Amino acid sequence: MTTPVVTAWPLLTLLLPLAGALAAIGWPAGTPRGWRRPLLTVCSATTVLLTFAFVPPVLRGLTLEAQLLQITPQTWIVLRVDAAGVLYGATAALLWLLALVYAFGYLHGPNLGRVFATLMMCLAAAMGVAFAGNLLSFFVFYELLSVLTYVLVVHEETPRALAAGLKYLVYVLVGGSLVLCGVLLTFAASGDMAFQAGGLFAADVAPQTVLLAFACFLAGFGVKAAIMPLHGWVPDAHPAAPAPCSALLSGVLVAAGGFGLIRVSFEVVGVTLLRELGVMPWLGGLATLTVVVAALLALRQDDLKRRLAYSTISQMGYLTLALALLGPVATVGALVHLVHHAFMKGTLFFCAGSFAHATGRRGMASLAGLAARTPLTAAAFTLATLGMIGVPPLSGFVSKWWLGIGMLESEAPYALVVLLMGALLAAGYLLPVVFTLYFRSPVTGPLSEAPEAGVAQRARAIEGRASLLLATGVAALLTVVLGVAANVAGFPAALAQRAVAGFFGGP
Amino acid sequence: MEVVDVRPLLAPLISFACAGLVFAMGRSVFWRRFWSLTAAAVKLLVVLSMLPGTLQGTVFVFDVVEFTPGVGIAFRADAYGMFFSLVSSTLWVLTTIYAIGYMQGDKDRVRFFGFFALCVSTTVGIAFAENLLTFFLFYETLTICTYPLVVHAETPQALRAGRIYLTYTLIGGGLALIGSVMTLNATGSLTLGQTGILSADLGTFTLVTIFVTLVVGFGVKAAIMPLHGWLPIAMVAPTPVSALLHAVAVVKVGAFGVTRVIYNVFGAELLQTLGYASYLGALAAFTILAASVMAIMQDQLKRRLAYSTVSQLSYILLAASLLTPLAALAATVHIANQAFAKIAMFFVVGAIGRVTGKTRVGELAGIGAVMPWTMAAFTIAALSFVGLPLFAGFATKWYLSLGALQADAWWFVVVMLVSSVLNAAYWFPIIHLAYFKTAETAAAGDDRAARDPAAEPRSLRREAPLTLLVPILICAAYVILLGTTAEVVGMPTSLAEVAVWQSFGLEAPAP
Repeated sequence: MTTPVVTAWPLLTLLLPLAGALAAIGWPAGTPRGWRRPLLTVCSATTVLLTFAFVPPVLRGLTLEAQLLQITPQTWIVLRVDAAGVLYGATAALLWLLALVYAFGYLHGPNLGRVFATLMMCLAAAMGVAFAGNLLSFFVFYELLSVLTYVLVVHEETPRALAAGLKYLVYVLVGGSLVLCGVLLTFAASGDMAFQAGGLFAADVAPQTVLLAFACFLAGFGVKAAIMPLHGWVPDAHPAAPAPCSALLSGVLVAAGGFGLIRVSFEVVGVTLLRELGVMPWLGGLATLTVVVAALLALRQDDLKRRLAYSTISQMGYLTLALALLGPVATVGALVHLVHHAFMKGTLFFCAGSFAHATGRRGMASLAGLAARTPLTAAAFTLATLGMIGVPPLSGFVSKWWLGIGMLESEAPYALVVLLMGALLAAGYLLPVVFTLYFRSPVTGPLSEAPEAGVAQRARAIEGRASLLLATGVAALLTVVLGVAANVAGFPAALAQRAVAGFFGGP
Repeated sequence: MEVVDVRPLLAPLISFACAGLVFAMGRSVFWRRFWSLTAAAVKLLVVLSMLPGTLQGTVFVFDVVEFTPGVGIAFRADAYGMFFSLVSSTLWVLTTIYAIGYMQGDKDRVRFFGFFALCVSTTVGIAFAENLLTFFLFYETLTICTYPLVVHAETPQALRAGRIYLTYTLIGGGLALIGSVMTLNATGSLTLGQTGILSADLGTFTLVTIFVTLVVGFGVKAAIMPLHGWLPIAMVAPTPVSALLHAVAVVKVGAFGVTRVIYNVFGAELLQTLGYASYLGALAAFTILAASVMAIMQDQLKRRLAYSTVSQLSYILLAASLLTPLAALAATVHIANQAFAKIAMFFVVGAIGRVTGKTRVGELAGIGAVMPWTMAAFTIAALSFVGLPLFAGFATKWYLSLGALQADAWWFVVVMLVSSVLNAAYWFPIIHLAYFKTAETAAAGDDRAARDPAAEPRSLRREAPLTLLVPILICAAYVILLGTTAEVVGMPTSLAEVAVWQSFGLEAPAP
């Protein structure tokens, strides 16, 4: 491994969003109100460009490092840009920009300063999660991200949102404590915490200690990654949060749990030790359960956002399943899926938000025939649905392809069956939505006449609102581009291969 | 290296002189304020002037008077004492500013500020006490001086609280005296300047009796369960008193005393072989959890804060009882971490009470919009107690857990983690009420809140006056500083490290 290049650039990924957070609450005082949104957009967009700029050096095999603070005598908060980090970081930053643009059109009413400032602080925390160079730094940003997200979940302040927020908080705090437990055990046993391909435990550490630490990580990150039976907060928090925030919950926050699992498995414990411990088959079993059961539960949800939330649980199960196989190609698949899923699910949640805005209701029945009024949004929804099912050449197909090949390479054909079941069930719970949008005629009757007129008006407004359409359109476009151009250098697959080469001790 | 220096005596004397001046000239508002503020500032400067020396391992000593050979009043400013006195002197400055704002128009202010200064004087005396006699002398003086402050309101309720307070602490003081006398009898010395003066060949009975009497005697003020009964009751005192005395000075003196007993009377090595400390640790762990559960059930803000204090103080006792260097570091830094966060909270509660008249948790709906800066400070303090990284409380959690693992006591790690979740359970509802509920939605039917002017939509923004707000914000800023800049020279952690080396009789590693 080459020595890291010390540079201040990674720090900017934290500072830019924080500057945005200040702009969101109108600081420095006297900044005209009209500047806030452009300023936020600039901060967020620059962060995206910055993460993209990290791609070429990382692909050349360099790592960039910046030291931030020394919070205990033993440990610094270190930012280190490597392939896996750029992969997650660029995804988070880009999805964030889209969600922000979407939110400009979507969010109205009181407390806007609060929610935008929190969004930007969360972005900073997410960048920290992506680029954390050691276990403690990772934990620091991970906890901050978890707790700050609470504000996004309860933004609407309805009793439902508050209840979901409470549930969320209990889950993530307990999960965070377990992660901390793992961090402590690791530090006490190894005296070091810098992420290191191949693991950082010395050979003489008792296997029980490693097992205990890994179990803590698994349970802790498992809460965030929504591994069943730790998924309870997901189906409540997603519908409660405003649509752009739901997109981020799915694409970045749940993914943070999966990303943490990947980091810990390959760069804290290490492949060799994991194989010896023999816990991965158990994790694989849980992942299988998650993929199938969550998809089955998704089938019977009437609330679209709740359905999508279960879909997220199911899809993140792929990631865990692939991770459990401990094969290089499967891991590439897991990383690629993390990225592709983020944009597909982002598209779906953006569309769900627009639909809900148009109809003012949440149930499946309200979507009937809506495609005629919101053709573009419905088209984006359809595209993302096809992506989720894994229709070529969309991005969902590419990640499933990698996953499938990986599963065969790891000689786990049963996993392939799980993958296919997941895809079929995805068709089962998403295609009916598409069908309802296009082919079911709106329920008409004397009572619904007046609301219908309102729907038509609101639907036109939704389709006419540039920021909603722009964000949804770009996210849908990414679903296609990431699929078609999957093999271009600098796209997720290349980065994932670079990262995995490190994990498995390659060049 | 020991250096004879008058400053360890000077520090308590300044507050003592201030008390005298306040009593003499305090009828004039100007002179009362002038002497209070000047003395607080001068004392802080005196203590600070010793800091560079202490960081290099210098111990300042000063013998005042000897009654019999080896027994007398003497001061010794080692790193641990410096740490404690630095925290209490810094907070004295802030609390004085706050108290001037808070007590405006209250009665008997001469008595209040006079005894306030006396309490701070004795606290520093305890921090710098060279031997158990000096320690005991100031410890009892503190008990007496706090009484007028507790009963300040002179309501029947306050007088009753004062009685209970005196009963608890005087009995505790008596026990501590018995322990001190037995120590003198057994060893011929009372010094706190060594890493342990007792030895294992004294016999189990003597050792157990000394341990129990001293730890229980000091433990009363540290409010370890089941000796905590006085603390929630004493919350009838005015808020600045609750803040400085019942979050910092008085209760920390108890914890400080127990730590001194563990490291300087017994010594970590001896206790390690005797194993008594594990009982103390178990009791402290029980207190941490039980007090947190009690805190969840309190609706009165100050009572919730009081139970939280009971819980947090036991962090120090638990850490000290683990007898490992990292845990000792946790015990030391927690003195500062808890103090700044808790005092910020008390200040906030006092400010809310003064501005809006609200004292119960249930009334706080929508207060975040009314007093945004104040509640921001409260949020920071709460996040610190929950142990979120980058806040002061995380440092304690981190060192204490590592120390427990060092001592092979993994169940204390579990206690720590459960406790941080419990902390979330009683602080987050307040934050939640403050920011995410408006008074109208929360108090449908509760006409008391509905009649409150703060509840009216967009009457908004009634921030506390600056004398209250500035100390609050400084404390909150300090909570973040403590959590993020642990390794900056001159920050409390570096001092705490020196204290730990001295407690364990280790040589400082070469810089």
